[in-house]
Amino acid sequence: MSALEGRRVLLVEDESLVAMMVEDMLLDLGCEVVVAMRLDKALAYARSEAFDFAVLDVNLGETRSYPVADLLCERCTPFLFATGYGQRGLDANYRGVPVLQKPYQVEPLEHLLIHLLTCEAQSRAGPDATPSCQCRAVRSQFEAVSAQDP
Amino acid sequence: MPNSRRPLQSASAASTPLTSLRRGGGQLFETERRLNAVLNNASVSIFLMDDRQHCIYMNRAAEHLTGWTLDEVLARDCPLHDIVHHTYPDGRPFPLEECAIDRAFPENNQERGEEVFVHRDGHFFPVGFTASPIRDDATNIIGTIIEVRDISEERAAAERQRLLINELNHRVKNTLATVQSIAAQTFRGHTDQAVRAVFDARMAALSNAHNVLVEDNWESANLHNVIERALAPHLLAEVDASRFQIQGPSAQLHPKVAVTLAMALHELMTNAAKYGALSVPQGKVAVTWSLSELDAGRQQLDLTWQEQDGPPVTSPTRKGFGSRLIERQLPMEFDGGATINYAPAGVLCHLRIPLTRLGWAGQEMIEGHPVR
Repeated sequence: MSALEGRRVLLVEDESLVAMMVEDMLLDLGCEVVVAMRLDKALAYARSEAFDFAVLDVNLGETRSYPVADLLCERCTPFLFATGYGQRGLDANYRGVPVLQKPYQVEPLEHLLIHLLTCEAQSRAGPDATPSCQCRAVRSQFEAVSAQDP
Repeated sequence: MPNSRRPLQSASAASTPLTSLRRGGGQLFETERRLNAVLNNASVSIFLMDDRQHCIYMNRAAEHLTGWTLDEVLARDCPLHDIVHHTYPDGRPFPLEECAIDRAFPENNQERGEEVFVHRDGHFFPVGFTASPIRDDATNIIGTIIEVRDISEERAAAERQRLLINELNHRVKNTLATVQSIAAQTFRGHTDQAVRAVFDARMAALSNAHNVLVEDNWESANLHNVIERALAPHLLAEVDASRFQIQGPSAQLHPKVAVTLAMALHELMTNAAKYGALSVPQGKVAVTWSLSELDAGRQQLDLTWQEQDGPPVTSPTRKGFGSRLIERQLPMEFDGGATINYAPAGVLCHLRIPLTRLGWAGQEMIEGHPVR
């Protein structure tokens, strides 16, 4: 049985055909999938529902999925970004987040998702938890950013 | 030469247009100093012309632009045209009578245009000009003020953009063809030919949808063209008018809407050709649509696909790619709605798509900063 069996995942991907394919990949991995194809819908799900993790396409047409990432961070939900541009395509504030290189492939997807869950378990293990947890890494960057604000 | 009147100060008497003000005393001298500071620090080139099209003043930017100093231009004592605009880029002489700037010896303020000037060193450069008349107290036109900008960089940027768009068109089409080839090689001998044909047709539909985007530089796509491309049997063929009734108001679609809609129509087409109205000679399809105001600045597209005179329809036992794309993905992608009704008399599909020309609802969210 896959480590991902029964996990609830938020998938944010704005292209119909691509969303279909990734949804199928996640279903095949045993996940329960909630699909959002628009930023407003993704934010609504992230605000009102609980997920084990999320897969966020960075580019949603003319906007980005960063506000969803911020909400997930606040709620300590681990997530990964999917982009065709790799780490360089990310805003500097989010460089600590794992990146899945597009086009989507099931094995790297599965590998990264399992990594996310393991990392999450470590971070909840105690105050000395690994700083590699993206949630903390990102949050500390936000704190650094907001500390600079007047 | 119509020189009984010499309204603007003649060339030999002035090194700036404002020198005469000196006679008015200290205050005018200060005014002149300020105006010269403005003119000589402006980045736009400014020429003052008299009624003979002789230049009687040019600022520093103009000297830099043309390679000539004001003193040299004054010493030439000829129309400015003969100094900076005397030759066409192809080498033919450019007589003053053909000069658009000269003709712009303007009745109206701020006549605009683009021309190609010749630098003192002989090279040509494109300029944009704005010409306005100078009038005397009796409102007679006594000269012209011409602003000139070098637009070489703008031209180069437009050219780069043109090349990039060509490259984009080429790259997208090539990538689709490459994907098709990879699929063909990978599945050779492992997949039955009918499945390959379905795949190839979907790739062709995707490719055709992109053709429509190319026509409008990827900014939008004409709805009518998207529909006609999707319904034509192949790229060079027209839609069969005896089979299809296509009717609705014109609209421009966001590229994302165009591609998804084209794919949806392709699936309806395929289904109709296999099981529906297009599987029999007398069958017909009506594709009709209307636009309505949704809210401020947004329109909604209501599109209906109605098959008629086909064989009796039965509901499919299993929902496939087409119905998943249309009934589930399309509404999610655009915050719209879609229904497919397998009515016995003919398949009826209704699509409701809110249109926003640029992007879509939800994009007004702030990017890249924590939502608090």
